[in-house]
Amino acid sequence: MSRLPRGVRDAVLAVTLVFVVGSIAMLVAHASPLVGFGALFSGALGSPSELGETLVQTTALLFPALGITIAFRAGLFNIGAEGQLVLGGLTAGYVAAALPLPGVAAIPIVLLAGALGGGVWGALAGFLKARFGANEVIATLMLNVIAALLATYIVNGPFKMNGATAGETASIPHGSWLPTLIPDTRLTIAFIIALIVAALVRFMLARTVFGYELRAAGDAPEAAKRAGVDLSRTALVAMSLSGAIAGLGGAAIVLGVLHRFNTALSPGYGFIAIAVALVGNLDPLFVTIAAFAFGVLQSGALSMQSEAQVPKDVVAIIEGVVIIALAGRRYFSRGSDR
Amino acid sequence: MGENGAGKSTLAAIAYGSVAADEGTIHVTGVVGLVHQHFKLIERLRVWENVLLGCEPRRGLAIDVPAARLRVRELCAAYGLELDPDARIESLPVAVRQRVELVRELQREPAVLLLDEPTAALAPSEIDAFFITVRALAARGTAIVIVTHKLAEVIAHADRVTVMRSGKIVDSMRVSDTTVAAIARAMVGGDLPTIAARIPTETMPALAVTALRAGTGAGALIEANFEVRAGEIVGIAGIEGNGQSALADALAGMIPYSGDLTFAGTPLFARVSPAARILLGMRAIPQDRHKEALVPDWSITDNATLGRQRTFRSGILRDRARATAFAQSIVERYDVRPPNAHARIGALSGGNQQKVVVGRALESDPRFVLAYQPTRGIDIGAAALVQSRLIEARNAGVAVLLISFELDEIFTLADRVLVMFGGRIVGTFERGALDRARIGALMAGAR
Amino acid sequence: MDAAFALLVLTLIKATPLLYASLGGVLSERSGVVNIGLEGMLVAGAFFGVVGSYASGNAIVGAICGVLAATLLAALFAFVVTRFALDQIVAGTGINIAAIGAAAYGLVIVFGQPGASHEVAALGRAGEAVLIGFAIVLAIVLQLVIDRTPWGLRVRACGENPAAAAAAGIDPLRTRFIAVTIGGAVAGLGGVFLSLGELDLYSDGMTAGRGFIALAAVIFGRWNPLGALGASLFFGFFAALQYTLQRSGVPSELMQALPYLAALVALAGFAGRVRAPAADGVPYVK
Repeated sequence: MSRLPRGVRDAVLAVTLVFVVGSIAMLVAHASPLVGFGALFSGALGSPSELGETLVQTTALLFPALGITIAFRAGLFNIGAEGQLVLGGLTAGYVAAALPLPGVAAIPIVLLAGALGGGVWGALAGFLKARFGANEVIATLMLNVIAALLATYIVNGPFKMNGATAGETASIPHGSWLPTLIPDTRLTIAFIIALIVAALVRFMLARTVFGYELRAAGDAPEAAKRAGVDLSRTALVAMSLSGAIAGLGGAAIVLGVLHRFNTALSPGYGFIAIAVALVGNLDPLFVTIAAFAFGVLQSGALSMQSEAQVPKDVVAIIEGVVIIALAGRRYFSRGSDR
Repeated sequence: MGENGAGKSTLAAIAYGSVAADEGTIHVTGVVGLVHQHFKLIERLRVWENVLLGCEPRRGLAIDVPAARLRVRELCAAYGLELDPDARIESLPVAVRQRVELVRELQREPAVLLLDEPTAALAPSEIDAFFITVRALAARGTAIVIVTHKLAEVIAHADRVTVMRSGKIVDSMRVSDTTVAAIARAMVGGDLPTIAARIPTETMPALAVTALRAGTGAGALIEANFEVRAGEIVGIAGIEGNGQSALADALAGMIPYSGDLTFAGTPLFARVSPAARILLGMRAIPQDRHKEALVPDWSITDNATLGRQRTFRSGILRDRARATAFAQSIVERYDVRPPNAHARIGALSGGNQQKVVVGRALESDPRFVLAYQPTRGIDIGAAALVQSRLIEARNAGVAVLLISFELDEIFTLADRVLVMFGGRIVGTFERGALDRARIGALMAGAR
Repeated sequence: MDAAFALLVLTLIKATPLLYASLGGVLSERSGVVNIGLEGMLVAGAFFGVVGSYASGNAIVGAICGVLAATLLAALFAFVVTRFALDQIVAGTGINIAAIGAAAYGLVIVFGQPGASHEVAALGRAGEAVLIGFAIVLAIVLQLVIDRTPWGLRVRACGENPAAAAAAGIDPLRTRFIAVTIGGAVAGLGGVFLSLGELDLYSDGMTAGRGFIALAAVIFGRWNPLGALGASLFFGFFAALQYTLQRSGVPSELMQALPYLAALVALAGFAGRVRAPAADGVPYVK
């Protein structure tokens, strides 16, 4: 077992934990693990429409997970994907609902706006790190909360839109709705866009000079600095890019799923995405697979709750345990033995 | 005795108990103390806290601080050493820190005291004082085992010498019964490898430093004035901690500096980035390869382009074919083993890693190379190869600045020797007129 | 004068859970472990405090349950990051997610309803006051323990240079484990204060990120318990201010954001000028 590559070992461990922890939690709820997991998987994969919903969750997780992957590879602990996602959704929602947009260009413009919103939020933390050396873990955690408060304020306060209920923007015009992939589901081309982004991120990291320098900054900052890599600039750019992709995820939810911005648009995708990125070993290919696995858990949770009477929060417990178990030493490039 | 990688430190650690042996036993009557090569001291704590950690005198629930101070003073008096119990380690120079480490071990009253490379960071005069202390300890009945690679000290101070090579003990004899040459041969298992020959070169101006000042605190560079010409090796001799790191970092563009730095006629201001300096043809072989030169998880190829990654590109993409070819040429020319350019560099031995670092610098068309402790911690074969390549680069017209804490290395390689002490250059010597005694004195701060 | 006194009392009330959490954080980080999971420990303390009180009808029993739950959670975290040298930030994030999920889950299992628990026997004003006073006393005691006792010295050694501590015969992994676990117990008391001191129930999200502000408080307090006391009072003051100014024209979100904004500003100003324990966050591998 110990001779298998680390990625495979981690995947096996993750799967094992899912079943073990889930079963224990289900038994505590006086439910049978067989029934519970059965409901979970059939609820996630049983029919095309259910599969569609699973892919919706996958997409919502994949965007922030890719952003986190970039940041972590650059040596930055971006715990703020949640806030970056919210800001992206907020920006996209307002641009879509409030501005007159030319027909065909509407969707790209709004998506871009979402990426900008998230990118700026990520850049804030990146700037604090680059200019002041501020601990990005705490900075991004604080910015998460500030983002949520800011969104609430804008949506309910001075920028409240006509015809909008509390906590949301007005509905966005149909011209900005993302086209669906499977009819009668919430699955849109956002899924395809996410896959394309995943491929681009993988390509960027492995084959471009920028990706090389970013990885050097994360894997060996001292050596990178001597090799001419500007660590401050890399931190700023990496955090901006990371936030932008997370923001794109928020925009995708606004344009594809909710068709408006809602302050409750994310049940913690930005945090779960950390687990997704880690289970995927910070490689966009495996991150995509991990996003699907977690998407199954997220979408199956509701079925599990209604059919097997197991509270959906079981999934959160499972995810937390998986994160703990997979918190491998790899992500620690600071100290080294010898 | 043994060269780097022979197993000396591991053997000492087994005897001390911090490493478990796979096989075999060691019999010791009494406590074993170990003064490590890299001191295990806690910088922010005080001397008494470091010495008495684990056996603190108590008063009720709290530490009895006056008693602690007294105990340290008693120990110092007993062994003829001087220490201020309240000083924080971070404020102490290296020689004093070693005293703290020594006292910490002595208070356990060891029957056997192991000293791992104890004189690595000491000035010649401090080394004399150190051996006087050690002799006194031996006279009181402590068995002293010194782990070292310094032949001269063994001949001068030891009663018996045991030689290790490749993890085995190959010989053990009384010092009075043997010679330097015999010990050296036992260490290496043959004759010492030869180094490339120097050829006469026509030197030209390359790097000029005037009133250079950098860094703060104990290891700061106060003032440096010197030049390094193309086709010569300038060696900077000195004890670690006298400004060499500040000088190296300033030249690399890693820290701010004041004064004038001119390279190939172009003035280099402090804000000129490391990247720009690399483009100008300046290369570095950093002091700590593991932290400053390599990415352990990456392949040899990816490490080979580190520093010049923007040269190995076509557009925004990396030119991996060219990178692999470059890495392959280093692997061949520098006898890197195993000879696989795609191997993970962290899996290579220290010597092979260093060969890649040196090859990367010298094979990239350099005009100036800063070699900082280029043969630190590597085996004799690799060291000889590295030194040969440096001489060959010098022969080919590269300007080489060598910073080393091993005087022998400076003497082998340098055309000119500058001595650093207290952040300044305190002496200059031409190759034909190297006065070892005088240089040693200057290194220790003599006028 | 009355308003000022009310503000002072409110400051103390708002500061106390922060203080408990940050004291736990200080102890952990001085030994070399960054504990992002403080939020989860607050949740554990708050939730299981209520469960314990519900089951026994006694608030003190509840408080003990809460502290125990947080301690166990901290012990799990400590075990994982010392024995397996897993990444502390990531493991801490997992602790938070699992704990918050477990509490939400537990609400349904124990109380049959999501969102909030039933009302239970609480500690009352007297209990609240005791907990506030105890927190301040604890800050002083911890400062003395760290600075003056042998155990405190060993904890500091492990946080600065665990290899050196090991060379002196101390087990850094064991010391870190103990420090983190005790820290978790202390943080758990903060959770108990939230659910059984201030109120008499547990509701989803009641910890509201205090575990994260506590991390900032650790830094501003320069990793000293007394400093954490000062930082917690500082943050508590802002929270109290927000509450008091609720009916003025200032938007409530801005007031709520004040502590977090203050934390950001101070992060920028402080960074580089304070030094964490040298081995803080670095796993010790033998």
